[in-house]
Amino acid sequence: MADFMSEVARLDEETLKQIDRIQKEVAESCEFIGDQEDIDILTKQYLQDDEVYQAKISDLKRKYKKLRRTRGDGNCFFRAFGYAYLEKQLEEKTDLDRFKSAVIQCRSSLLSMGYPSFTLEDFHDTFIDIVESVNKASTSSAELLQTFRDQGLSDYCVCYLRIITSGYLQSNAEFYSSFMDGYSTIKEYCSTEVEPMYKEADHIHISALTSALGVSVGVVYMDRGEGLEVNEHVFPEGSDPMIHLLYRPGHYDILYK
Amino acid sequence: MAALKRLIQEYKELTLNPPEGIVAGPKSDNNFFEWEALITGPEDSPFDGGVFAAELVFPQDYPLNPPKMKFISEIFHPNVYLDGRVCISILHTPGDDPLGYETAAERWSPVQSIEKILLSVVSMLAEPNDESGANVDASKMWRENRDQFNKIAAGLVKKSLGLT
Repeated sequence: MADFMSEVARLDEETLKQIDRIQKEVAESCEFIGDQEDIDILTKQYLQDDEVYQAKISDLKRKYKKLRRTRGDGNCFFRAFGYAYLEKQLEEKTDLDRFKSAVIQCRSSLLSMGYPSFTLEDFHDTFIDIVESVNKASTSSAELLQTFRDQGLSDYCVCYLRIITSGYLQSNAEFYSSFMDGYSTIKEYCSTEVEPMYKEADHIHISALTSALGVSVGVVYMDRGEGLEVNEHVFPEGSDPMIHLLYRPGHYDILYK
Repeated sequence: MAALKRLIQEYKELTLNPPEGIVAGPKSDNNFFEWEALITGPEDSPFDGGVFAAELVFPQDYPLNPPKMKFISEIFHPNVYLDGRVCISILHTPGDDPLGYETAAERWSPVQSIEKILLSVVSMLAEPNDESGANVDASKMWRENRDQFNKIAAGLVKKSLGLT
């Protein structure tokens, strides 16, 4: 038994090293937020005789023109959401004041839930600084991209969007608690599935974040599911999407019309 | 610089409202990334009355990633490696899962804090998780020979107080 357990411990150390290597490889192969590319690049990622995917890619090309790939590190939904929204506002600047008040409102709500202010402050300030920079006429899209490629700033945005998501789920516990399979409380779900970095986002996360910040998102699903067309689901339901994301199992990228 | 600012804030907080049985702070004024902590063994646990010293080393991107924690005082416990490294779920991010915790175990996230870690360590001293095999012999003894385990723990309590 003891030998077996130390063997398990040794294998665990090996596994950790391997995970570390894989993470480095992923990091080197893709920026946090990539450059805008033609949707055609997807065609080459799947086999020519993969009829389902090739048909769905053709359908996607009819509906969208470009995409921006994001790094697959478990934070991709949050990073894609933050970047896509702010990039859009860099051109339009129509929604930023409302967005900023929504973010400030989320912080008040988190403080009243008992989150110590020292756990929120730095994330909040970093995020608000970025939002304000987008509101300035002098900020270029290259600068915004640079911000989201800087690990420190980019991860702080991701982290704050996670905390906002968690806060919204907890304030709307009654509605969301029926979706929490395997967790006894919404708090437990949030501290395990939402707040830790690298945890992948599910429907619940998307629903909560889009509602918390009032930013409508269209998610285009491309998977092995039935049909030869891609389906778009809008969060919150029935709204007019401000940004579009492409979902392939386990990963989100940004789409452009 | 964000990490340093956060560590200073947490230190202030811990000094103003120290949790019972815990003292913690930077080892020196010129390096806030290495802390020392003194943890009192919880009442009615095998470690009752002991005062155990530990060190915490923070990464440059704290609080995105958790610190590493290691007991300096000698300790015999299912969730502490022989070299003193503490192995509990709150010290790990979700992608970093050395001992296959059940998914519901609380992980590190940036809204956790040094105080939460130290409180988790106090609970760990009171209630070892014998499914994690950081110290295989301690796990086995905790399960199969509690009297012997308690005897060793009592010896370490005395040692931690400098009584032997």
